[in-house]
Amino acid sequence: MQDAVRVEQLSKSYGRLLAADNINLSVTSGTVFGLLGANGAGKSTIIECILGTKKADGGKISVLGMNPLTDRKKLFEKVGVQFQETNYQDQITVAELCEVTASLYRDPADPNDLLARFGIAHKLKSLVRDLSGGQRQRLFIVLALIPGPKVVFLDELTTGLDAKVRREVWKILSGLKEKGLTIFLTSHFMDEVKALCDQICILKKGKIAFLGTISEAVKASPCHSFEDAYLWYTDEEGQTDENF
Amino acid sequence: MKTFKTMLKTELKLSLRGLDMFIFAICLPLVVLVILGILYGDRPAYEGADHTFLEQSFGALAAISICAGGVMGLPLVVSDYRGKGILKRYQVTPVDPSMILLVQVTIYTLYAVVSLLLLYFAAVLFFGCQFHGTLPVFFGGYLLMVVSMFSIGMMVGGVAPNTKAAGVMASILYFPMLIFSGATLPYEVMPASLQKIADILPLTHGIKLLKAASLGSSADDMLIPLIIMSVIALFCISISLKCFKWE
Repeated sequence: MQDAVRVEQLSKSYGRLLAADNINLSVTSGTVFGLLGANGAGKSTIIECILGTKKADGGKISVLGMNPLTDRKKLFEKVGVQFQETNYQDQITVAELCEVTASLYRDPADPNDLLARFGIAHKLKSLVRDLSGGQRQRLFIVLALIPGPKVVFLDELTTGLDAKVRREVWKILSGLKEKGLTIFLTSHFMDEVKALCDQICILKKGKIAFLGTISEAVKASPCHSFEDAYLWYTDEEGQTDENF
Repeated sequence: MKTFKTMLKTELKLSLRGLDMFIFAICLPLVVLVILGILYGDRPAYEGADHTFLEQSFGALAAISICAGGVMGLPLVVSDYRGKGILKRYQVTPVDPSMILLVQVTIYTLYAVVSLLLLYFAAVLFFGCQFHGTLPVFFGGYLLMVVSMFSIGMMVGGVAPNTKAAGVMASILYFPMLIFSGATLPYEVMPASLQKIADILPLTHGIKLLKAASLGSSADDMLIPLIIMSVIALFCISISLKCFKWE
């Protein structure tokens, strides 16, 4: 099967800080890929380099076989992105933000359908800033799905959602995956990663500490659970102990 | 085109919801017109003049909304949209982020044109003013004024590191120009010393240009303002093209 995302020897540094050090990874079409790591491990840098909003110092990147810097217009017809920050106009309503977003694409999905599926259709007339954290988070997933994408990038997808809504979001995303959507996500919740991801990449200080499936991650570590294995790979456990 | 229309409609609604441009670009020029109209009525500009004082001020009043949009509105919205990451969000869509800048320029041009029309009809209907110049010359001058004032705004919005800095820079440019360039307080009633200070401000020359065009003065009166405004436009456009930051 074709790779939806391919990253070869990506490196990026800010001054002397090496935020991404020789990163190689690929995401098979129709799978869910999780990029994990502590804050500052380089997740956002890698996503931004893949998307072309940051220029890599070196390496080769292709998404759907295209170069995100030179084929921007064509590529982003088929790629949806949800950023961590909340970037919308101060006085804009849900309906307006959806309408404008849909107008950017040649063949967009119907925003109203998506809003209904994510349970926020009744919020159409509200200002985006008046939504609760969870509603806003769901709205941003909706925006990322409006292009009718082949690949979607979700940065900290369910932060701020309650347990019930998170499960609903997972269900919808799993359904979209069944239909062939490739999902590239970052998350801090190991239950979420376990529920969704086919492949994971654990980062530590800009380097890949582990790349493979969840069961491989557990097997290759001295731990029995995935959460312990994750902490073992990122060394967070040791650090927490020292703090005590 | 679909994108542009949808964005224009939405951004226009957002701008009107903010109210400040409605007040500073639409209401303020009309208020100044009414005050000057009540103060000066149909008195001639000076003894023996063939035009009234109010007719002489028309070009200045028309400049108020250009200045408000170009020097205050535009830099604030550009730096705000960059600070919020809205420009960056457009980088991961098929649409170029410059589209939203084009939409904003269109909106502030609309404010300026609406203000011009309202001023014209109010001046003619309520204060019996007449237009003495030639329309193509006036519109040429008006267009140059819009381009040069908006280029100042683009430059400020483009180089300011954050919204706060943009606000400070815009205020430093906007308020002195609003008061001392003859837009509100007529240039002709200023003492000579104040006129000298006014001559430093770019807007003063834009207003001289519009005045000359609306009064049908000789081409010589327009030459120096024309050169100054063109130089400002060229300078600011090249700086903003070179230094513009998307995030």
